[in-house]
Amino acid sequence: MTDTAIETAALGKRFGWRQGGWALRDCTLRLPVGRVCAVVGPNGAGKSTLLAHAAGLLAPTEGGISVLGTTPSAARERMAYVAQDKPLYPQLTVAETLRMGAELNPRRWDAAVAGRIVEEGGLDLGSKIRSLSGGQRTRVALALALGKRPELLLLDEPMADLDPLARHQLMGTLLADSADHGTTVVMSSHVVAELEGSCDHLFLLGGGRVRLAGPLDALIAAHTLVTGPTGDLAPHTVVESRTTGRQITALIRPEGRIAAGWRTAEPTLEELVLAHLRAPGAPALTLTDEGDAHDEGDGGTNSGNNDGETNGTRTRGASV
Amino acid sequence: MTTTVDTTASTTRGRVRLHGLTGTVLRVHRPALLVWCAYVVGTVGWMLWVHYVSGARARAAQDTCRGQDGSCIDFDMFAFGEGMSMVGTFVAYASYAVAAWAGASLTGRELEHGTAHLAWTQSVTPTRWLTVKLAVPAVALTVGTTVLMLVYRWIWSANEEVRSDDWYYSDPFVNRGPAVVAYALCALAVGALAGLALKRALPALGTAVAFIVCLHLYLDERSITLWPTKTLTGTAASRLPMSANQLELGAVTGSGARINDLTCFDVDADADYARCMADNGFTDLYAEVHPQSHFWPLHLMTTGVILAVTALLVLASFHLLRRRTGGTS
Repeated sequence: MTDTAIETAALGKRFGWRQGGWALRDCTLRLPVGRVCAVVGPNGAGKSTLLAHAAGLLAPTEGGISVLGTTPSAARERMAYVAQDKPLYPQLTVAETLRMGAELNPRRWDAAVAGRIVEEGGLDLGSKIRSLSGGQRTRVALALALGKRPELLLLDEPMADLDPLARHQLMGTLLADSADHGTTVVMSSHVVAELEGSCDHLFLLGGGRVRLAGPLDALIAAHTLVTGPTGDLAPHTVVESRTTGRQITALIRPEGRIAAGWRTAEPTLEELVLAHLRAPGAPALTLTDEGDAHDEGDGGTNSGNNDGETNGTRTRGASV
Repeated sequence: MTTTVDTTASTTRGRVRLHGLTGTVLRVHRPALLVWCAYVVGTVGWMLWVHYVSGARARAAQDTCRGQDGSCIDFDMFAFGEGMSMVGTFVAYASYAVAAWAGASLTGRELEHGTAHLAWTQSVTPTRWLTVKLAVPAVALTVGTTVLMLVYRWIWSANEEVRSDDWYYSDPFVNRGPAVVAYALCALAVGALAGLALKRALPALGTAVAFIVCLHLYLDERSITLWPTKTLTGTAASRLPMSANQLELGAVTGSGARINDLTCFDVDADADYARCMADNGFTDLYAEVHPQSHFWPLHLMTTGVILAVTALLVLASFHLLRRRTGGTS
């Protein structure tokens, strides 16, 4: 039994033979079991590529990935994956789709769970998948995934097609179920609000690279939003700063005490994510469970050292 | 370590999974299976009609003809010959439709719409998925084409006197043995590979059909070279049996050169033949032919080539799938 749900080491994926066509590069992450992890980033950040590697659907171009202590293909039976476009066989009925889940997962299938999720949506078991709306299809896809009783549930943009009510209800079911069974959940989204309050771990990707990784509260605690008169913020690592007149607002990673004269506040998840996305040059940060920060990049932006070099995103905690 | 127990368990598990996946593949491709069954049943029905209705008329017409000293033209015999040719074409070209379906529906659409990924993230490895996706239609195709081949062989030999096609004609040559089965399997394999490689239904359909058409046309042309021809000389060359497939005819001159000159081929009497040869300065006549007895060697060599191509396509499919998904089992 391992306590690691997903661990990647310098994982990289290039599609085609184009130079620079890297969907994911130098990705080193570790996700402990039992977490609900958000994979956040703009479109094209590499979220789907990371999830597809974890699901054993893609072979890495470089580096490696292990899932539940083994290879993704050996862990196939113990994890479930819902792709972004919720593929299902349109010619099958809902009942036939669930039967497929039972037949293809003979040793794990929990018909009650799958049936309940479909029932909650008021779906007719006899209707063909092709006649369902996007949201209803999402529901069937999630029923198929949860019916497998996975130890690791990988969801790529799971809630995109759902109306707010169904989203709330389905997310509730999902989280309650995973809490009951200790399921590790990884869900990607580019809508940060969708994830706030439901996740306790964060991977922020941008441009195919890891920008932030770690327990959510530790990541937030490692950052401070400071406001004050223009001035030097050294020795703190400045993620992003904006100057309005004589006033500067910055998201920093404090190194030691923050000088008097700065007003400080704890950033929200959204502020944290947006600041990192607006400042692609900001150094990456990976935190492990023990809470020891690994500030990456040489000195960060405040030392005037341009952080074009982002090869230092390794999680030291994970590589021990 | 309980290695023995583990092995047994995984074997049992494998069988259970295969069963479940087989059921799923059958359900997903149920319309295609129904169309295939309808095609086989319909074509068998058509062949029976050609034999029992059209053939009976032709045989009756031929009996009448014989009574009238042989030389008569009868439209019932034409109609039968035409029906026989058409049904033969229908059987011989089924592989084109199989290639189209396999490319578009079996793998291409699954990858295009992501349903392949759905299957691969259940407790089914991509390798097992492809194995079953190939095996289930392969069984249906083998059974169907074998039935068609056997019925075709039967009406072919039962109407020897009235049919107009010869054994070396393209369609009867394919239809009267396992080559027709091999073509169907090859079409399945090329469709599956095209779908996997292109990940799109329509391009895969086009590629698979183009490949099987090219293979079919190429072997149509080249299958006669897959077995050595028989060389006949003298009057044996000029008085060939009707059933021989004539590839090259001509005369041999004094210098031993072969020339394409048929002057002495239609001389019947031995004395006339000798005179013709002497007049033209020929020392001999020659004919390169495939006698009817070469049907099986030629047919089996052709089948072997198709099956070898099929095997390569299947290996390429598995290789591609493994490389792409990084799966080992």
